[in-house]
Amino acid sequence: MSIRQTDQPTIPDAPATGNTINQLDWDLLWERFGIAVVTVVIWLIAGLTTPGFANTDNLVSVLRQSAFVGVSAVGMTIAIIAGAFDLSVGSTQALCAWAAVSVAKLAGVFPAFAVAVTLGGIVGLCNGFLVSLVRIPAFIATLGTMFLVNGLTYIVTNGQTARFSGKPFVWWGNGQVMGLPVPSLVFLGCALVGVAILHRTSFGRFVYAIGSNREAANVAGVPIVKTTILIFVVVGLFTGLGAMLLGARLYSAGPGLEPGFELNVIATVVLGGTRLAGGRGSMLGTVAAAILFATLANVLNLNHVDAFVQRVVVGLVLLLALSVEGVRRRLAEYWTKRAARTSQASQPVREDQL
Amino acid sequence: MNANQPRSARVASSQVGLMLLIVCGAFTILSRQFLTPGNLLNVCTSASVVAIVGLGMTLAIASGNFDLSVGSTAAFAGCVTMSLVQRIGVAPAILAGLATGASVGLINGLIVTELGVPAFIATLGMLTIVRGAALIYTGGRDIYLYGQTQYKILSSGFAPVLLALALAFVLWFVLQHTRFGRHILATGSNAASARRVGVRTSLVLLGVFSIVGATAALSGLVLSAQVLTGNGRLATGLELSAIAVVVLGGTPLTGGKASISGTVLGSVLVAVINNGLNLLNISIFYQNVTLGLLLLGAIALEALGHRRTKQLTTP
Repeated sequence: MSIRQTDQPTIPDAPATGNTINQLDWDLLWERFGIAVVTVVIWLIAGLTTPGFANTDNLVSVLRQSAFVGVSAVGMTIAIIAGAFDLSVGSTQALCAWAAVSVAKLAGVFPAFAVAVTLGGIVGLCNGFLVSLVRIPAFIATLGTMFLVNGLTYIVTNGQTARFSGKPFVWWGNGQVMGLPVPSLVFLGCALVGVAILHRTSFGRFVYAIGSNREAANVAGVPIVKTTILIFVVVGLFTGLGAMLLGARLYSAGPGLEPGFELNVIATVVLGGTRLAGGRGSMLGTVAAAILFATLANVLNLNHVDAFVQRVVVGLVLLLALSVEGVRRRLAEYWTKRAARTSQASQPVREDQL
Repeated sequence: MNANQPRSARVASSQVGLMLLIVCGAFTILSRQFLTPGNLLNVCTSASVVAIVGLGMTLAIASGNFDLSVGSTAAFAGCVTMSLVQRIGVAPAILAGLATGASVGLINGLIVTELGVPAFIATLGMLTIVRGAALIYTGGRDIYLYGQTQYKILSSGFAPVLLALALAFVLWFVLQHTRFGRHILATGSNAASARRVGVRTSLVLLGVFSIVGATAALSGLVLSAQVLTGNGRLATGLELSAIAVVVLGGTPLTGGKASISGTVLGSVLVAVINNGLNLLNISIFYQNVTLGLLLLGAIALEALGHRRTKQLTTP
């Protein structure tokens, strides 16, 4: 992959040891919990300032909206931690959602589930095969399957949208259990499964290992090919599940369901603190980021902000969150330099400036 | 100079050329309308829009970066130009459009170099921001040009093709024969060592992103001149098509190498296939399928060939 940080890694000028440790901690803390804290703060501010935000119906709808990108983002988090990523989730989502709606109409809810998830898994298997055995870079392989699946969906559906509004099916998109929306519960379940996969299985350890250093992982005996295929299958499975929820929510699905979905999913994962370079990332961040995006859209809507302006705000939030670390590092560099200059000019060293 | 033209890129671009010949031959046999001057001009015109932005993207990828914001930039620049044509005349409006694109590119570059945000994310953020800006600017409505036939000149006859070829030549010259070009390739192959030997990589990247922005704007202008309408939703998804064409042309995503001729041939190949499918009355839905298969097939061949040579050369 050609994604790389362009800034120089800072060489610590070893001011006081306490300070270096502090700096590292701040970066890590921001990466781990930053977005979760920001999300909570935004909920508090929105609750105090925006009338209509802090009532149960609205909060339920925020949580529900976060789930459709969120479920797919759970899988994508695992892929990005492994240093891969998947551009085909948008096309896959449209295909699976259409299949789910059509099958639900013919055969009922559980076959719909099975078909959507299986189709997602099959696309993932193709991606995994192309990346690991044919050795096409993930970006290009999934770009290819993105076009391929998109075209196939148009051909299979003949450009038509499938519709179905049977009660048991649409319950999965619109229903509630104990006051909580069903998609959110599924999202929560997926996130927990994701955490379990990452931290309780050997597959999860392999994912982190491959993402941190592929060569080293290979030398250490991590089954790269098997793990890579499985990663893409996992992304496909989650995407299929999310697609079924969206189809149920909308009572309908067809080709071109959500243009740009793949980039939304990647933006969510990255906003959650997962590094595109791989090796680092957390599910908590992804969940928080999905909720944050849904909250932003909701708050802006409640304040009657134009839909076009909303796009600008969403982009700005992404850029702001991602530049926090760079800006902090720049400031630290600036203060170190300034401290060095002042200590040259006048004898007393002022360490408190860091 | 030979060192700058990497062998793999040359091989890849000749592969694309070969594929192009085969596909053209097939369509000539299958359809009588294919090899007519009017149709060929059609093909080249539709190829040039993607080629123009693809050429800029080639530079970005050669420098080890991406620009995902080109589709939005194309739309924004198209809208700005369309709205200015009536007020300040055609030529100044075109310049303003190009400047808009270059400034968007400069902002991309500043976010990448100064704030340390990876290019993928920086330009992903700018994708939504600039698209929003274009929609705000037009209020979501179309901007029509009535009676401004002068502006049509950007899209009439050979103009788009000539623009694309001229741009290809300029960028080829820059990459092969200027210090800036060598610095782009150096930054792309290893930014850290390029910096160590005195390449000012930040400046290089600022330049690259500005050029990408300007080329995106140019393709947006050609597109909007074709339909004589400015629309904030123009060129949606152009970024991924442009990257596909560059990759098809043999420029590796890892940076440090560029194949200008490959990008041009790649965009012509995609345009020829789409055109041929149209002539054969095959549903437009198959265009994406073939693009996907083409992309995967071409890269798979290259990857497998690469692996074989590797096995042969290393014990």
